Amino acid sequence: MRLFNMPPQIVRLCLVTIGIVGSYLVARAVLTPPSFREYGFFRGDALKDIMALPPQYGGKVSCDECHSDQFTKLNKGGHKRLSCEVCHGPGYAHTQSPDAGMHKPTFTVCSKCHEANPSRPKTHKQIVLKEHYAGGKCMECHVPHSPAEVP
Amino acid sequence: MSQKLSRRNVLAKISAALAAACAAPAAQAAKATVQKVLVESGGAKGYDPTKHKWAMAIDASRCIGCGSCADACKKENHVPEGHYYRTWIERYVITKPKPGSDEARGEVLVDSPEGGMHGFGPCPVPKEELLQSFFVPKLCNLCLHSPCAQVCPVGATFDSPDGAVLVDRKYCIGCGFCIQACPYGCRFMSPVTHTAEKCTLCYHRITRGLKPACVEVCPVQARIFGDLKNPVPDDPLQTFYKNNRVQTLKPHLGTEPRVMYAGIDKEVR
Repeated sequence: MRLFNMPPQIVRLCLVTIGIVGSYLVARAVLTPPSFREYGFFRGDALKDIMALPPQYGGKVSCDECHSDQFTKLNKGGHKRLSCEVCHGPGYAHTQSPDAGMHKPTFTVCSKCHEANPSRPKTHKQIVLKEHYAGGKCMECHVPHSPAEVP
Repeated sequence: MSQKLSRRNVLAKISAALAAACAAPAAQAAKATVQKVLVESGGAKGYDPTKHKWAMAIDASRCIGCGSCADACKKENHVPEGHYYRTWIERYVITKPKPGSDEARGEVLVDSPEGGMHGFGPCPVPKEELLQSFFVPKLCNLCLHSPCAQVCPVGATFDSPDGAVLVDRKYCIGCGFCIQACPYGCRFMSPVTHTAEKCTLCYHRITRGLKPACVEVCPVQARIFGDLKNPVPDDPLQTFYKNNRVQTLKPHLGTEPRVMYAGIDKEVR
């Protein structure tokens, strides 16, 4: 067997090399997912996998669909920049089906932001709970949806 | 018999077997590729990662350390119980220098009880000794040159074209190199999936048009989020860049973080 006048051992070496490189190329074609290198050196479908995860927080706008009275009231007052879900907890399930209940806000949602702490910005309204709190509920004197209002 | 087992015969048989073994999977791969091209080019794509560039900014001077963001992140992303956080809040307490010392500032105390999820207790230093104190929310710094993506041996951690640094759970082998590589401590090994986990910038939310959970619940707008490629009117991110002098964390490492901080001190790393 004399191809291009090459000695037989060189021809065999060439054939073995072609075999090795060829099997590597075939293996790569088979094992690499089709979306690899779609956007870069990673599996493009990984983005879709992460996108498909279900959200837990519905976003403030979605509350306006049914609770527009509270929504409008909130947006007029001192708490206008707060999202409903800061105090009421995650509500994506509730936006999908109203039967899925919401977390009932307790006293802690007030104190977690308004308890005095020297690390907080001085402009933030703070109270020393021991001195301020008379034992009643915050909502006996304050309206969370409109802090300036007196109940 | 000796003729049948000659080198030529053996080689011929091996190559024939190899060709037969490769033919079937190669055909399958070709079929999958063709299918993918046909399906994807025909179907409408809802979200194109190349048309967005998400970024976040932190105005630490606004942060009140309420912990809503860290708490919301845990709930939104089902982050495992225990000391695993995709985002957390640190409290920096800087004391006055000792009387008679020639230093400008005293000791720096940093704490983050339960990632700040349930808020912070009273200041560990009495008022007379306190020079200043502030909160700093921390998250993935969305590096332009992410060390975590560079060290990943299997291409499981990557820089998404829209600015997020993500982990492909199916590819991650759980070697933990990325956790060592991140200079900001933003990664952890999930005890549930045994893969690396990190802040995804709530990728499943932002691609649906929602804000990341931490940004959604922040009561004081200390976290600012936006799309650099598609700024909206009065874009909060552009307003932040315009009104603040910003800095990044550990700039000397050359990671070029895309999360800008305003209102932090030199002690913050």
